[in-house]
Amino acid sequence: MYGLGLGAGLPFILNRTSAALAAQALQGTSIEKHPNRILVVIELSGGNDGLNTVVPFGDAEYYKARPKLGIPEREVIKVADGFGFHPSMVGFERLYKDGSLAVVHGCGYDHPSLSHFSSMGFWHTGVPNGGESLGWLGRVADETLDASQRNLIVNLGTSQSLAVRSRKHSPLVFDDPARFRRDGTDAEKQALAKLSETRTTSNATLDFLASTAHNATESSDFVRSASAAYRTPVDYGQGGGLAGNLQRVAALIAAEMPTRLYYVTYQGNNFDTHVQQADLHSRLLMYTADAVRGFIDDVKRLGRGDDVALMIFTEFGRRVEENGSLGTDHGTATPMFIVGKGVKGGFYGKAPSLTDLDDGNLKMTTDFRRVYATMTGEWLGCSQTPAILKGQFETFNVFA
Amino acid sequence: MIRGSLRPLLVVLLASFCALTVPASAWVDPPDGWKGDLSPISASDWNYQRAAHLIERAGFGATPEEITRLAAMTPERAVARLVDYEAIDGSALKPFDESGIWDPGMDPFPPSRAEAVRRARDHGEGLGEKVLPPGTQRRLQPVVDKFFYSLTANNIETQRLGLWWANRMLVTPRPLEEKLTLFWHGHFATGQNKVRDYRMLYQQNRMLRANASGNLRDLLVGILKDPGMLVYLDNGENIKSHPNENFGRELLELFTMGVGNYSEHDVREAARAFTGWTNDVLMYKFDSAEHDFGTKTFLGRTGPLNGDDIIDTILAQPVTGEFVASKLYRYFVREDISTEVKADLGRSFRASGYQVKPLIRRMLLSKDFYSTPSVATQIKSPVHLVVSTYRKMGLHGVPTIPDFGRMTGGLGQTLFEPPNVAGWAGGRTWITPATLLQRGNLFRDVMFPDVKGFRPPDRVMSATDTRVGERLAQGMNITEATREGDAESNKMVDRDEDYNTRYGGYAGNLLAFKRTKLIPRQAAPIDVTALITAAHADTVDKVVDHLVHRFLSVPLADKDRAVLVSFLRDKLGSSTVRPSETLESSLRELLYLVLSTPEYQLG
Repeated sequence: MYGLGLGAGLPFILNRTSAALAAQALQGTSIEKHPNRILVVIELSGGNDGLNTVVPFGDAEYYKARPKLGIPEREVIKVADGFGFHPSMVGFERLYKDGSLAVVHGCGYDHPSLSHFSSMGFWHTGVPNGGESLGWLGRVADETLDASQRNLIVNLGTSQSLAVRSRKHSPLVFDDPARFRRDGTDAEKQALAKLSETRTTSNATLDFLASTAHNATESSDFVRSASAAYRTPVDYGQGGGLAGNLQRVAALIAAEMPTRLYYVTYQGNNFDTHVQQADLHSRLLMYTADAVRGFIDDVKRLGRGDDVALMIFTEFGRRVEENGSLGTDHGTATPMFIVGKGVKGGFYGKAPSLTDLDDGNLKMTTDFRRVYATMTGEWLGCSQTPAILKGQFETFNVFA
Repeated sequence: MIRGSLRPLLVVLLASFCALTVPASAWVDPPDGWKGDLSPISASDWNYQRAAHLIERAGFGATPEEITRLAAMTPERAVARLVDYEAIDGSALKPFDESGIWDPGMDPFPPSRAEAVRRARDHGEGLGEKVLPPGTQRRLQPVVDKFFYSLTANNIETQRLGLWWANRMLVTPRPLEEKLTLFWHGHFATGQNKVRDYRMLYQQNRMLRANASGNLRDLLVGILKDPGMLVYLDNGENIKSHPNENFGRELLELFTMGVGNYSEHDVREAARAFTGWTNDVLMYKFDSAEHDFGTKTFLGRTGPLNGDDIIDTILAQPVTGEFVASKLYRYFVREDISTEVKADLGRSFRASGYQVKPLIRRMLLSKDFYSTPSVATQIKSPVHLVVSTYRKMGLHGVPTIPDFGRMTGGLGQTLFEPPNVAGWAGGRTWITPATLLQRGNLFRDVMFPDVKGFRPPDRVMSATDTRVGERLAQGMNITEATREGDAESNKMVDRDEDYNTRYGGYAGNLLAFKRTKLIPRQAAPIDVTALITAAHADTVDKVVDHLVHRFLSVPLADKDRAVLVSFLRDKLGSSTVRPSETLESSLRELLYLVLSTPEYQLG
């Protein structure tokens, strides 16, 4: 539809009706088991303090290691035997009680890196301590999604994440949908569409620019009109970055964008709480829990609750012992979360010991790729999961 | 604004007649053998195209007149003109004009609003404001207002500081100095978001500029004792009893050696050596009581090592020379560096005692720098994109409608606000479908400025604050005026009876608007008609060729050139260019197209 509009030399402005038609036309044949299912991945960058997120209030060692930062037992939102959420995570409490939130204990990988960039790179590629150049979600798309279809991957952010880097697909990356447009008169836009045609030259960077320009021209009108038209009564809370981005995802789902993989980041290095972390961390967790709860409510409202699952990760947890600045330093294992109507809520995996440590850091109990495998294998139904993740990883039976 | 005036046009025409009658040399492909060859380019290979490449990379591009002057020199002279910039008088460049937003009592600034409140409760005053008498409603409100004032005022000052720097990049006669300072800003990334004190960023910027082409050791010592960096990496919290690894880790991973060349043990030992390196507001301070004088083992060296010893040990590693030289190479030459070039540059950099200037001179003179894979293969950073466009337009001041910071920020680069400690990743990461469209759009805003609808980012209130202001104006009390939705975070704002957070944000903004200098707002005084008249471009073909020549670093395919030619011909209704009421406007539309091409992203 996008291509047709251009070829016919029509002015490239879609109204609501033609946007819906365009979306319909974009849904081609699928080679998958669950062609309606959508995976949303949320990145909490900076290294979220897992121990103060899912609090092991039943373990006295926790309070020994965290004399100042430990969350007092009476404040913890208790949800399981010895474990509970940080008191600001009322949104997660709701989801947990609804049975749509799974917590996976102790996620990490062997020989953990304490560098943000290295560790985030390992989570993005799904290849710890390896030199993989494509992202794990990029590979999911390469293996299972029809490469002739556009916009199957959307990354909300100012720059493209390595997690969605794909060989065959060009992820759609944008920040503010209202500004995702080509300005100018019709004559200018038509000339620019011609100047942005894909090409093959001896300058690979130029070819890359031209192909990106081409895709941008074709997709921007759809995204913009979908977002601008979106209204929801659901309160996503205050966390501007994450709440806003999840609402944009809901808007695209509502507009029947053919996207199957959404990647959303909590901007900046927010969760890197070396200093005076209590207030800041509480706020971040509150924003996250509110936004996720709002998003899940919103997709249910749209009638797409059964089609959406969400996974939350961070590049590492924090050290068990608090530091001298009322903060925590880079650590290792940390919980992951899986959220959605189709999720069997509860706790999965084994919580790491707080005494059997590796140089002051938790020993991971769950290879994070088991959670990736759960999302690709169980949720998306990809039989190629071992190829994508470059190994066999046991899944958790999280999805009913 | 839109219409070109004829008088300056004639002046420009006469003044530049000679320089511009020299035709630009045709595109010449360099020999294949130049790739990876670090030997200097010879005078016989020097031409306009190569001079343009030099000034694009070692500066922010230039007008055809300036490029013609560089092309007339020998390559050694042209490179020296840029590299030996101390010889050029830069005294006309003005220092930053500060608003003066810091009051006595605001230093040292508390790390959070909660901490500001705790201190004020303990001392009866905080941030230079007295706590109200007992029994008064919201006793701590003045302190909370002041806290938010400081955040907003520092944000505004940082915007003004960024604009000051952008102007300096545009008008400086020493462009490499600014290009290098920008490099070091990305390398030693420090952001206002965390530092929350524009004075520290300004001070750091001057330090980086003063050492930009000097010695890496001086830069390292300078940055590790820099208050902004000490705050950014929390080194004030790095104390003997609880070493904080952040500082040591970033020093090794990002500033000097790169990941994989040291162990976690080295990180911890480096952290110990830097314990007690802290700041007293704007001054470096060594706190010997918090310094760990014990024995450390770092990269195989054992002893009671201090921070200087760590720096010297790092500089003794061959990998340090290679790491920093490669990063400079990627900034100035191209993304991919061969193993041989890396080893060679790293070795000579270290052998020179880490002198930056000879390294840059060697790179800029090398055949490799002028080889096919290096020329017009770099994606311009947002700051470079905007500044160089203004330079090529011949402007002498950065237009403020549209706003410079908003333009580059929307493309992923805000001065004094790098995304994280690693700085800007650069290269293809600048480009997404959205930023690529935006890269063109913003020049449409420059060419056709929205003077009426413009909202200055230094005076913008959030939607929430605006609502609070409206409700207060309607006579609501603070509790009513600050009430919002039902999410948990929205119920928190008025929970503490001693103050209201949301009101504090609103009142703090108002005070910051009052106390910071307003950015004067002006649209760009562009005159495309003058540019093409001076170049004797009196036909549609010649106009297109001139704009392509002036702005693009790569030739345009015939097919694309034809699109531009027919666009302008349709606009003018003729192949001949004659003065008219609408000529300037049509030329601006054409220039918008040129600046929106994929080709224009390449420098």
